[in-house]
Amino acid sequence: MIRRDLAVIALLAALFGVLVLAPGLFEPLLAQLNAPGQPALYDRDTLLNLALWHFATAAAAASIALAVGLALGIAVTRPGNEEFLPLARALSNAAQAFPPVAILAIAVPLVGFGFEPTFIALLAYGLLPVFEYSVGGIRTIPAQVLEAARGTGMSPGQVLAEIELPLAAPVILAGVRVTAAFSIGTATLGSTVGAKGLGEVIVAGLQTSNLAFIVGGGLIVALLAILVDHGLATIGRMLPAARAVAAA
Amino acid sequence: MIEVEGLSKRFGEVLAVDDVSFSVAEGEVLALVGTSGSGKSTTLRLVNRLIEPTSGVVRLRGAETREMPPEKLRREMGYVIQSVGLFPHWTVAENIAVLPRLLGWEKTRIAGRVDELLRLLALDPAEFGGKYPRQLSGGQQQRVGVARALAGEPSVLLMDEPFGALDPVTRARLQDEFAAIQRERGITAIVVTHDLDEAFKLGHRVALMDRGRLLQIGTPESLIRSPSEWMVRQFVGPEERALRILSLHRVADHLAPAEPGRWRMDGRHAFDAVADKPIGRVEHRDTLREALSAMVWNGTDLLPVVRDGEVIGQISAAAIQAVGRRG
Repeated sequence: MIRRDLAVIALLAALFGVLVLAPGLFEPLLAQLNAPGQPALYDRDTLLNLALWHFATAAAAASIALAVGLALGIAVTRPGNEEFLPLARALSNAAQAFPPVAILAIAVPLVGFGFEPTFIALLAYGLLPVFEYSVGGIRTIPAQVLEAARGTGMSPGQVLAEIELPLAAPVILAGVRVTAAFSIGTATLGSTVGAKGLGEVIVAGLQTSNLAFIVGGGLIVALLAILVDHGLATIGRMLPAARAVAAA
Repeated sequence: MIEVEGLSKRFGEVLAVDDVSFSVAEGEVLALVGTSGSGKSTTLRLVNRLIEPTSGVVRLRGAETREMPPEKLRREMGYVIQSVGLFPHWTVAENIAVLPRLLGWEKTRIAGRVDELLRLLALDPAEFGGKYPRQLSGGQQQRVGVARALAGEPSVLLMDEPFGALDPVTRARLQDEFAAIQRERGITAIVVTHDLDEAFKLGHRVALMDRGRLLQIGTPESLIRSPSEWMVRQFVGPEERALRILSLHRVADHLAPAEPGRWRMDGRHAFDAVADKPIGRVEHRDTLREALSAMVWNGTDLLPVVRDGEVIGQISAAAIQAVGRRG
């Protein structure tokens, strides 16, 4: 099972690598989409450079969303903190209620163009899934398991680290997959405010009616999203809680 | 070993546990019996401080438990719950090893302890050690739950409906096995149950609880012989009294020497030389209730008592009656 997952990932990674490192191989194909003489390959930056920036931006936002969302999720599920759950929900809901484009528009005057407004928009939008899945994952742990953990003599910290987080991990990871897929897709918008990324190719395509740019750029972004999603799913299947289910 | 004195717990308007006092001696099993809402589980959870009392004290070997860090206290008290609460992401061996690991035992000592406990609970370590809780039957899970509670060499075992979720056959077998392990190891335990038969089977003494109050406490036989009105209403009809008393006694304790030449064993079957016909028999470990039943079934008032395939004596209806009679 895991071996097949790894094989699929290797295949996707190879395809992605060829697209990014040797786009020339696809030039004849992409050129079909364009009028004769129109360039089929983006040449103002290397695709590798753009892909790395794209991935780094999305990964940074998703990582911070995970850290903040998980910390919030843990905080509101501690005994005595239940009353903060509606407040935390309201905040993360509000963050997601703003479309990323609107957040970009608000953020640019405050932090300038480039990476920062993109990061803020992705973070705000990606927080909710991680937070909600964290709360859901922790709250669905059977009460008797927690009772047994406390009854065994685990401290609250040990219950969290040894029981709650490992058992909630598959659900939390599902939230991370949602946030990651979203971040990679939406990071393309960053190019409208000057952030480096694969969106640049698509935006250039839109501005110059270059269908090859749009399709090529979109393809690489989609492939990156699928690759990351598969990677996360495979990690999820290797988690102890998932292995215990698979064994049964 | 454990003394509970004036223990009370109030949840809002409700007094869940109301001025309860009892003590449990070293090597003794106390059964707390009551219907749901009687406060028996709450009392148990007050003992290991999963909840804190409104008033009253609990002492473990003379030391007040409220002076101890709760985690340290709970590590001295094995805890078994009805739904088992095995950690689903860990194997059986990892589940049993959890407290020894928290206590910082060496790896080889932990592995040895896990093997020992699996064998004690009649589970093959090679077969079950690597399994996950989901792969076990209810009875096997319960065995692992007991093994986990015993792993840290606790001074006392707290059991909340330990065999409650099992089918009657598995349940009776686990009760017998637990009683045997308890006797052999001299385990001190408090067992919470709603089942009076289970309480009588496992408890050296039985405490009856209702609406937070402890109504009556005593040996099973003393409770049956002089039941409170409440107990009669809740649990035992007077017509069952004698049979319940009989089920508390073993044949081995009431047999007489066999009449010379009367009984012989023919393979697994007993033969009555006087009547010149095969006859039923009782095992020395059987209860007097089972012996009485065998007598009725065989239409006789005298049966041979067998141990390991050998006749070791005989039991008479008169002897059984003498035990069950109003005293």
